[in-house]
Amino acid sequence: MPQSPSLSAAAGPKSLVELLRALVRRNEFALLLSLAVLIVFFSLTSGSFLTPRNITNVLGQASLAMVAGLGLGLLVIAGEIDVSIGSLAGAVGIPLVVIMNATGSLELGIAGALLLALCVGAINGFLAAYLGINSLIVTLGSLFVIRGGIYLYTGQKAIPDDVMLESFYQLGNGRLLGAVPYPALVALVLLVCFIYLMRHRPFGRKLYAVGGNPEVARLAGYDVKRVKFFAFVICSLLAGISGILLSSRLGSAVHVAGLGFEFQVVAAVVLGGVSLAGGIGSLFGVALGVLILSFLANGLGMLNLATEWQLVTTGLIIIAAVAFDELKRRAK
Amino acid sequence: MPASAALEKATPEQGVPAMEMVGIGKRFPGVLALENVSLTLEPGKVHALMGENGAGKSTLIKILAGVYQKDAGTIRIGGVEADLRSPRDALRQGIKVVFQEIALISEFTVAENIFLEQYPVNGAGSIDWKKIRREAAALFERIGFNIHPAAKVGDLPVSQQQMVEIARALAHEARIVVMDEPTSSLTPHEVALLFGVIRRLAALGIAVVYVSHKLDEIFEIADTVTVLRDGHHISTTPVREHTHDSLIQDMIGRRIDNLFPRSRGVARDEVVVKVEGLSTDKLKDVSFEARAGEVLGFFGLMGAGRTELAKAIVGYDPIRTGRITIAGSPLSPHTTQTGVALGIGLLSEDRKTEGLMLELPVLQNTSLASLDQFARAGFVDEPRERSAVQAFVDRFRIKTPGLGQQIKNLSGGNQQKVLLARWLMRGLKVIVVDEPTRGIDVGAKSEIFALIDELAAQGLAVIMMTSEMPELLGLSDRIAVMAEGRITTTMSRDEATQEKILNAAIA
Amino acid sequence: MSDVTQPAGAGAMPSRLTDNSQIVLVLLLLALCIGISLAASQFYSVENVIAILRQCSLVLIVGAGMTMLLIAGEVDLSVGASLAFSGCVAMDVTNKTGSVFLGALAGILFGGVVGLFNGLVVTRLKVNSLIATIATMMILQGGVFLYTREAVQNKHQQPAFTEISTGYLGPIPLPVIIAAGVFVVAYIVLRFTTIGRYIYAVGANARAARLSGKQPESLKLIVFVVTGLLTGLAGLILASLMNTGQPTAGRGFELTVIAAVILGGTSLLGGRGTLLGTLLGVLILKVIDNGIIILRWDQNLQMVVPGVVIVLATYLDLLRRRADAR
Repeated sequence: MPQSPSLSAAAGPKSLVELLRALVRRNEFALLLSLAVLIVFFSLTSGSFLTPRNITNVLGQASLAMVAGLGLGLLVIAGEIDVSIGSLAGAVGIPLVVIMNATGSLELGIAGALLLALCVGAINGFLAAYLGINSLIVTLGSLFVIRGGIYLYTGQKAIPDDVMLESFYQLGNGRLLGAVPYPALVALVLLVCFIYLMRHRPFGRKLYAVGGNPEVARLAGYDVKRVKFFAFVICSLLAGISGILLSSRLGSAVHVAGLGFEFQVVAAVVLGGVSLAGGIGSLFGVALGVLILSFLANGLGMLNLATEWQLVTTGLIIIAAVAFDELKRRAK
Repeated sequence: MPASAALEKATPEQGVPAMEMVGIGKRFPGVLALENVSLTLEPGKVHALMGENGAGKSTLIKILAGVYQKDAGTIRIGGVEADLRSPRDALRQGIKVVFQEIALISEFTVAENIFLEQYPVNGAGSIDWKKIRREAAALFERIGFNIHPAAKVGDLPVSQQQMVEIARALAHEARIVVMDEPTSSLTPHEVALLFGVIRRLAALGIAVVYVSHKLDEIFEIADTVTVLRDGHHISTTPVREHTHDSLIQDMIGRRIDNLFPRSRGVARDEVVVKVEGLSTDKLKDVSFEARAGEVLGFFGLMGAGRTELAKAIVGYDPIRTGRITIAGSPLSPHTTQTGVALGIGLLSEDRKTEGLMLELPVLQNTSLASLDQFARAGFVDEPRERSAVQAFVDRFRIKTPGLGQQIKNLSGGNQQKVLLARWLMRGLKVIVVDEPTRGIDVGAKSEIFALIDELAAQGLAVIMMTSEMPELLGLSDRIAVMAEGRITTTMSRDEATQEKILNAAIA
Repeated sequence: MSDVTQPAGAGAMPSRLTDNSQIVLVLLLLALCIGISLAASQFYSVENVIAILRQCSLVLIVGAGMTMLLIAGEVDLSVGASLAFSGCVAMDVTNKTGSVFLGALAGILFGGVVGLFNGLVVTRLKVNSLIATIATMMILQGGVFLYTREAVQNKHQQPAFTEISTGYLGPIPLPVIIAAGVFVVAYIVLRFTTIGRYIYAVGANARAARLSGKQPESLKLIVFVVTGLLTGLAGLILASLMNTGQPTAGRGFELTVIAAVILGGTSLLGGRGTLLGTLLGVLILKVIDNGIIILRWDQNLQMVVPGVVIVLATYLDLLRRRADAR
């Protein structure tokens, strides 16, 4: 038993040591430390790593997985999973570019893209939450159907951006004041919003409760199915936003965009300390997980190692992180 | 809405019962849980609901809580017919239930759990965390429970979790408060505090349903008692018209000695289990012996370490120090593989997660531990397996349409018999049974008791972990009492009294 | 009071191993065959049937392992990446040693080592198998390019290497024979042996199995290795079929295999499933594929249709089980 809460004083400020200890015990602290070690290591090994240009570049690249990771993290916390996010991120590029080409309006394109994401999320959510089909199966099915749909529509070719809107290019490639990439900005804003949601809105707490113990949540009067349904919708919408950014970076709707993206995001979410069993983890942790993987990839690239080493190290780090986490839990 | 509203305000309507359940029926796969049961709750009264395990109390409460849907009957709340289709409906009607199983989110703090049903929010819709902490603290202060609102529920001992559970039912306005065995792990002091709370609730005009099988508690707190047996309504009587004996008579419906047949003679001298200085995370320096042909009963309150002991001595949970000897051979290495080879097996308290393979048929469930006996060069000799299993099904009178029936479709009592048969087919020297009659109806109970007696008569050492006093006193040859991971006392069947045992368990 | 609620159908159920959900699959398969043959008569030609069977063989070989793995309560997502890598290893070793036998052995063993790695990570380090094998997939996808930058050609043009996939035994192609062999052995193991019984037991309730003196971890490890070996075997056949070791082969193969197994009624939760179901699942998916081709539909439907079929089949199974529980 780590503490005897009934004895420790309810009132009165905690001592600094106690506060620090509580901080260190948190999972996010270990992640933050890992990230710091990683950054220090790569700035020592490569001169061009710790430059503003490179750091902002990494943040820009990381933002795609970050945005999708927030949604998936939220869904996994609610006790479900979505492996169709890669296909969806690829698919939203089609309505985006097609509508833009037809109307010349970026806004309408984005609306179309988000509408598609909304529909996919609602279908996934309906099948998994309301009909009760295992979410891995449902979203595995969606993965196939959406990717197949992309191929059907495009005939396995990219759809080019014919109108060449400057705003479309800027969305994924521009920088605020020439410094902060817009995608990073989008990711940051969403991160703050969703951390607030998870901590300070009843809906966020319901997500934790539903994932942590659905029976207890039901007894507390929650509509478990509804909560899960909305978690699916949010996850898809965020995957859609991620896909819009991706499409802008690619400058077109590419039929193979987002292939394997779901695995990358799942890895970051789990690395960030979100338990696949549901109810445990934080979106801040997810963000750190994404950053660790992104800086790792970038740093390894700078070491002039073959890019494939990134995949290999990422895989090993995921296994190590989850194994360590499990060890810690058992020691408790 | 103010916190602990239930303690401050209520709206009793004169002359109208707080709630009426009429002719309630409920059927589950394998059991008719309730048949034509009625219950009327008066505002400001404490209504005790009694009955053996499996009598239908929990089912009735879960119908009231909206967890289960009734198959027949009507429910009226404050005179108006109510359709309780989900826990949310029940909560809206002001029905608050303290469940027997802890229904808290273990990752959340105590304060957050208290307000799980409805988070207080500020004007912008954000959760008002300060208010939650403040009001939770105030609530605990008013009740007198000593719990830190900022503690994580998962870190608390079971008894404190139970107090949180009770406090939660009082945080919001309530018309009916139901408590399902709320004192199972509380100390006498905490029970006294709880009774104070219940009296205050009643004084405010709230109808309280109190479920317990502790007779003394019933006589102390209740106004009226309703007794259920095998899913049927037996009696509803003012508590002062009852005596201990009449209440037991109603609950059991037969004389208690019939429940515990005894065919076995005196235990043999041969020591089959010897445990010396056993310590784990939860157990402290436990030593005891069990002999062939005896039933050694272990009693303890929730969290005393009975289940931990059971799992440690069969090799399932790791141990820190100590020696376990089965029929002269040390249990080393400390695994279930060694344990089974030496002849010790555990009938777990948790049938679903540690015993049954729910999706698989009776055949596979029965032969699991002894499959190698029917194997030739790695192939299962299914005809031989079938006939052996069939022999046990007949001998134990296991009711199943066939050996291919999925075990999840059998009743609790028959499932338990299958699990017993699993071990007996193996041929054990020692069987550890942990809460052998949990969730089993009375008829099947006495059959399980008879089987346990038969096992001891055949020369097995039976180690029985139980929290049921009648079971303990009725079956054991010797009784060991546990508290906080230690054995506090051991006594023979003749010396044992309920008081002695309880005192040793609270120590 | 009746103690048993659900005697209905119990007599008609000779054993759980011929689950009646398979009737639905058989009907579905028949309907597909009839439908397609009405629209395109060449469906029943010997060539086409053999083509379908050949298509089935790779998925069935790995699916046999995956079925056992899912029944034991675990999953392996690295089979696609492992398939490509072991194909490259087999080709490469064949080139270097000049011996097709050694090459084949190396390919199969490589798959086994991957399975061993997965098994150890899952059973010893206690990493959830979904995550562990996603990680392995990444390692293998990266690793195969570090191993070979481009496709490994059959340098010495050894005919024996291509024979593995193009050879015939009588009228039947070798891969089909191999797949049938794997299927029969796996079927016997699951159906008639103690190991098979323990695989079900461990997946249905690992704790109960451990309390009964079994070792769930060892058993799971074995099944991971078997799945790995079978993946190696399939990788070898694939390399032989293409006459090269192709590092990019097998992308998405894991999903096809899992789809077939799930379609066959094997539960993701463990303890439930049959090889016969997997066979039907593979056949259905491949007949659909074939139908799309011979009906000259857009081949991209080959991704869409299975996606719908998996979800639909799972839902029907769910409905059936709910009806059962009543």
